[in-house]
Amino acid sequence: MNDDQDYTATMPPKGSKRASLAAPSKTLVLDNGGYTLKAGIVSSANSEPSYDTCAVIPNCIARSTRDRRTYVASELEDCKDFGELAFRRPVEKGFIVNWEAQKAIWDHEFSGNSAGDGLRCDPKETNLLLTERPNCPKELQKNCDEIVFEQFEFAAYHRSIGPVFNAYHPFEPNSLFSLPQECLLLIDTSYSDTTVLPVYNGQLIQAAVRRLTVGGKLLTNYLKELSSLRHYNMMEETYLLNEIKEAVSFIVPSYQQFEKHLEQTWKGRVGDKRAVDPSIVLDYVLPDYEHSIHGHARPHDPAQSKLRRGLQPQQGPKEDLLPLGNERFAVPELLFNPSDIGIEESGLPGAIMEALSVLPEAIRVGMMANVVVVGGNSLIPGFMERLDSELRALIPSHYLLNLTRAEDPIKHTWLGAARFASQPERLKEVLVSKAEYDERGSAWLAKKFANT
Amino acid sequence: MPHVEVLPNSTASIAPGWTYVVDTGYDPSKVAINPKNKKRAAAQPRAPRGDGELTSRQQLAIARRIAELNRDNDPKQAIEIPGKSAVPKTQNARRIIQYQRQIKHWLDDEEAQLAQLQQAPQPRAATTLSRLGAHPSRRTTNLITSIPPTPSEATTPAPPSTPAPPKAQSELDDEPLLSVDTSMPPPVNPAELQALLSSPPLPYAASYAAPPPSNGPPRRHFCDNCGYWGSIRCIKCGARVCGMECKEAHEATRCLKWA
Repeated sequence: MNDDQDYTATMPPKGSKRASLAAPSKTLVLDNGGYTLKAGIVSSANSEPSYDTCAVIPNCIARSTRDRRTYVASELEDCKDFGELAFRRPVEKGFIVNWEAQKAIWDHEFSGNSAGDGLRCDPKETNLLLTERPNCPKELQKNCDEIVFEQFEFAAYHRSIGPVFNAYHPFEPNSLFSLPQECLLLIDTSYSDTTVLPVYNGQLIQAAVRRLTVGGKLLTNYLKELSSLRHYNMMEETYLLNEIKEAVSFIVPSYQQFEKHLEQTWKGRVGDKRAVDPSIVLDYVLPDYEHSIHGHARPHDPAQSKLRRGLQPQQGPKEDLLPLGNERFAVPELLFNPSDIGIEESGLPGAIMEALSVLPEAIRVGMMANVVVVGGNSLIPGFMERLDSELRALIPSHYLLNLTRAEDPIKHTWLGAARFASQPERLKEVLVSKAEYDERGSAWLAKKFANT
Repeated sequence: MPHVEVLPNSTASIAPGWTYVVDTGYDPSKVAINPKNKKRAAAQPRAPRGDGELTSRQQLAIARRIAELNRDNDPKQAIEIPGKSAVPKTQNARRIIQYQRQIKHWLDDEEAQLAQLQQAPQPRAATTLSRLGAHPSRRTTNLITSIPPTPSEATTPAPPSTPAPPKAQSELDDEPLLSVDTSMPPPVNPAELQALLSSPPLPYAASYAAPPPSNGPPRRHFCDNCGYWGSIRCIKCGARVCGMECKEAHEATRCLKWA
């Protein structure tokens, strides 16, 4: 508030009583996800934000029993031994639940000496644009608002449903379409869950939001469970299994292909042994955390697995192998068939159709012509092809279906929010200053954010 | 079941020997003896359990497993925050920072509040909300019919216009075969759109996608041990396995008989 030059540019219109309380020009845009937080500082001076401004930081506090160290958020980069690493995550099911941990992470990343150069800021001179996931319990929203103003004391703040900001991406550079996009059907398949969000003129149609239990977290845990059952006990190796999931999983293009692959990876019956197909089955070389921190996959070698079982004497360096067969495609298959493990939901294409069925037909047509996928699970090879073919089978043939994946699905929501924040006139409309909060309280604030 | 009650009137007399009863399909005269013996009960012909139906024990096990797969934090592992944390600035902030609750507690709270709203007759806003909670699928139609067109229609966004190329004026315009009117969806009613846009967020639990349609493909079953098709059902717990080898492994590790 003491930097005159900063706020003259964004001075509110004349007649405003609180001219001296104009919002600062620096805005911290924060997409506070369950797995990583995406953060960057946007100022109205540099008008065009890009993916490069965005830092992706693990949103967790990790404790290693091996080197007896606790890693807070970005310190995880220094970690050399991910074995038995335990995580504490402040975000559960997509919502900030544990403020003790979340505060420690924000403090670590945005203030003090530990903060990176691009992210260090003084909350008292910064606006905060914070994203949340849809259908957040009201009590948690209230806690969040109160902490932002009473503990961090940000100068001004706006909280909004994150994926909606994807409506602020231009269709192509220098496109003449006005923003926000008129009809956008956003599919956010992230760590915590998968949501389908119809957005009309930058406004979320709340009644049509649909959610699937399956997210990246569930897939990792499922792979962990399967590997532990079939090979080694890996229940404490969440980090490693996540890495394996990202390295090897793929989504089959169709049901017939699923059947075929399942056949190819079957070991056969007693008396009818079959050789597994090396084009599907991989061996993952597990890291020993002495010579290697990360593992890697390589084609399956049946002779190696005999060695492993001690049937033949071992030669060369000792290595641990995790064979991966149907786990590679049966795990991400849950996104399309959650009922495979008994989840009573109809899968992503079904959820999309359900969300669309709430909308009037004219809007439905517009939505289908502009379907955008964001979130880390969309990076699994085959995801887009499968979604495209299943959706096309479900929608009437004379409708146009236009399905795209964001260029960087992880940072895309952040970039949308950053584009929103880089336009002072849009931002000014939604920001609430600390003085206003102090005057009117959190119940008023909750109502205000619910209506915008 | 309809509730049947004999209303007292002057002419009614309780005649001995017979009475009207509601036919519920159960005829005590045809049931010989109530078998107390478990073996006999098992031998009685019973409505066969459908292929897809699960026992309550299996359902519980599945629900528990999904909750386990979907868990964010392990309550058994308490990880301390390193370093000395600064003192919270207000009493309120201290309270929020010290909460040790998990997401399920907050969601249960929300559920309970909604149930409370539902019981107490409330002003209109609250009742629509609770009704939405009870019938998430029916909610939108209620909303649309119950909300009159708002006077602020001028501010509602115009219905989406598909960018049509400028029409060339020619005699072909009247040609019915070339008309696009039949393939165009009906225009959006602004009041309906406004009601849709201003509808409140669903409660968390109501936002989940519906279960798969009952006429859809049946649930696929996989071997509990190796992940191949599960064509054989374990007699003890009902899980599926693919063959003898996997059955033995299943019984040694995961059989739910004693779980």
